Amino acid sequence: MASAPPDRIASPVLAPGLTARRFRLSERSFASLLILPAFLVISLVVLFPLAYSLWMSFADVNLLRATGPAVELFGVRIPLFRYVGVQNYLRLLADPNYWDALWRTVYFVGAFVFETTVVGLGMALVLQERFVGQPVMRSLLLIPWSLSRVVVGLLWIGILDVEFGALNGVLYKAGLIDSYISFLKSGFSALNVLVSVYMWNQAPFATLLLLAGMQSIPVELYSAAEVDGAGYWQRFRHVTLPALRGMLFLILVVSTVNGFLMLDLIYVLTMGGPGNETTTLSWLGFQTAFQFFKFGPGTAILYTITLFCLILAVIYQKVVFRKLEAEQA
Amino acid sequence: MRPKRRAHRTAVYALVAVIALWLVGPFIWLFITSVSYQRNLLARPLALIPPEITFDNYRMVLGLVRFHAEGQAAKILPSMLNSLIVAAAVTVVNLVIGTTAGYAYARFRVPLKTFSLFALLFTRMLPTVVLIPAYFLLFKALGLQNTLTGLVLAYCSFTLPFTVWIMKAYFETIPTDLDKSALVDGCNRLQAYYWIVLPVSGPGLVASGAFTFMLCWNEFIVAQVLNTKLGTTTLPPVIAGMNGQINIDYSVIAASGFLSALPAVLLVLGFQKYMVQGLTAGSVKG
Repeated sequence: MASAPPDRIASPVLAPGLTARRFRLSERSFASLLILPAFLVISLVVLFPLAYSLWMSFADVNLLRATGPAVELFGVRIPLFRYVGVQNYLRLLADPNYWDALWRTVYFVGAFVFETTVVGLGMALVLQERFVGQPVMRSLLLIPWSLSRVVVGLLWIGILDVEFGALNGVLYKAGLIDSYISFLKSGFSALNVLVSVYMWNQAPFATLLLLAGMQSIPVELYSAAEVDGAGYWQRFRHVTLPALRGMLFLILVVSTVNGFLMLDLIYVLTMGGPGNETTTLSWLGFQTAFQFFKFGPGTAILYTITLFCLILAVIYQKVVFRKLEAEQA
Repeated sequence: MRPKRRAHRTAVYALVAVIALWLVGPFIWLFITSVSYQRNLLARPLALIPPEITFDNYRMVLGLVRFHAEGQAAKILPSMLNSLIVAAAVTVVNLVIGTTAGYAYARFRVPLKTFSLFALLFTRMLPTVVLIPAYFLLFKALGLQNTLTGLVLAYCSFTLPFTVWIMKAYFETIPTDLDKSALVDGCNRLQAYYWIVLPVSGPGLVASGAFTFMLCWNEFIVAQVLNTKLGTTTLPPVIAGMNGQINIDYSVIAASGFLSALPAVLLVLGFQKYMVQGLTAGSVKG
């Protein structure tokens, strides 16, 4: 791709106009050329499939029928199915299961965002104190976050299971319970277990972000506050918290999106059950599309979540970009 | 003043201990169960320090001893290899094309810059699952169903936007004077990027490379849906499949879970300095 590094002594002699200028592109086209491969790949694996899924949400997708309307692209036959308009969406709005899943998702996301922010901030406040072994603790933060959600689900089964769970074992030994508890048996308890397990996986990353934010707060602010007689909580409220506002907003947005999209833990821990008491929107969409193979209604459900993520992305961009522009101005 | 400070110190250490236990306790317990016999896990009262230690579970998972569910366990090593191939391929693709795009965004005026950056941000927040029905049909039409190539393509959808973003943030920390002096010295723009800027971008490359690898190594849903044929899938779906079977002891599943977690954990701990830096910069900068 790139040629050998130019010889620093020889290049001025070698008439720069002859060799270099012939290939010189304008800055704009050079930049476009650098972006082109990534742009092509993203169009191919994101934008095109996204549009195709959108089309499916307006179609009667029958996976067994090989014939029917289709479009040929570069010799590849892509089935288009029968267009049915907004029928899939109208059915959703009339389906009580959809609304149940929606409210459950709202609860799930609310509880998840709350737990992640509070625990993430709490851990950051503790780990920012001076103590022996601080670097080790920062490494430990990365462990829950680096695990696959399949493994996260597995190891919490090891803690919570009704037959061999360690938490049950400890509580039983301490005489706090007479028989092992089935944490995933009742719907509401299972939903809260999902929230907390996912929080265990995600809160450490929030802590890392907040610790990075705390490091950029000038120490003089704290000493000045101390001179003024501010106690710990006053310093937290008037110095730490205002400085972390941007970071907290980021955590809020990211964890809201993550909460909406959480799927793999539900797969490993509850499969949407018992009954459908842990069926969130993303699980409902996944189940409709890939367990019942109803791609039309399935993509319609998933598109309602996508729309929500789009709105969040717009809000996020508005806030962050405005802040960046203000900083640059 | 003195006793108050001591109380503060005690409180800090107590809280740190609680946090440490909470962060790694479950992971350590996973390891303990993986070297235990299931009968000891079922015993009441439960012994937190295992009375017997065994590596039988690992032997079963790695196919060194025969047992009743060896058909399931026999999938672990091949699927681990699949995971490795897919994750490595996606990482290479990301580092080559994501990095150049990140450089362009950091340095030059790009057509539709604000819009395309927003599109990247949105792609980062996009539910991957909404794309799977499309992948399912498109890959079938292209003959990419049940292939590793299909997974590599699908995984680029959620890794590439991150890589562009992280690398953009990283290149913005490198002074533009470096490129400019290279241009003055007679490099063209591509040479300035390739020979002068890239060699000092190690930390950024490590951060985004390790992050990409970790995301792919851990991905579950896409592989579960798209690659269902025997021998074509990655590690997470195989482990989730074992979890669904009643005839496999939890201690055996724990062993395979621990094996699958180890590479990602070691990777992240090994490159933690760069990853934390790169990810915080990448997520904070709009």
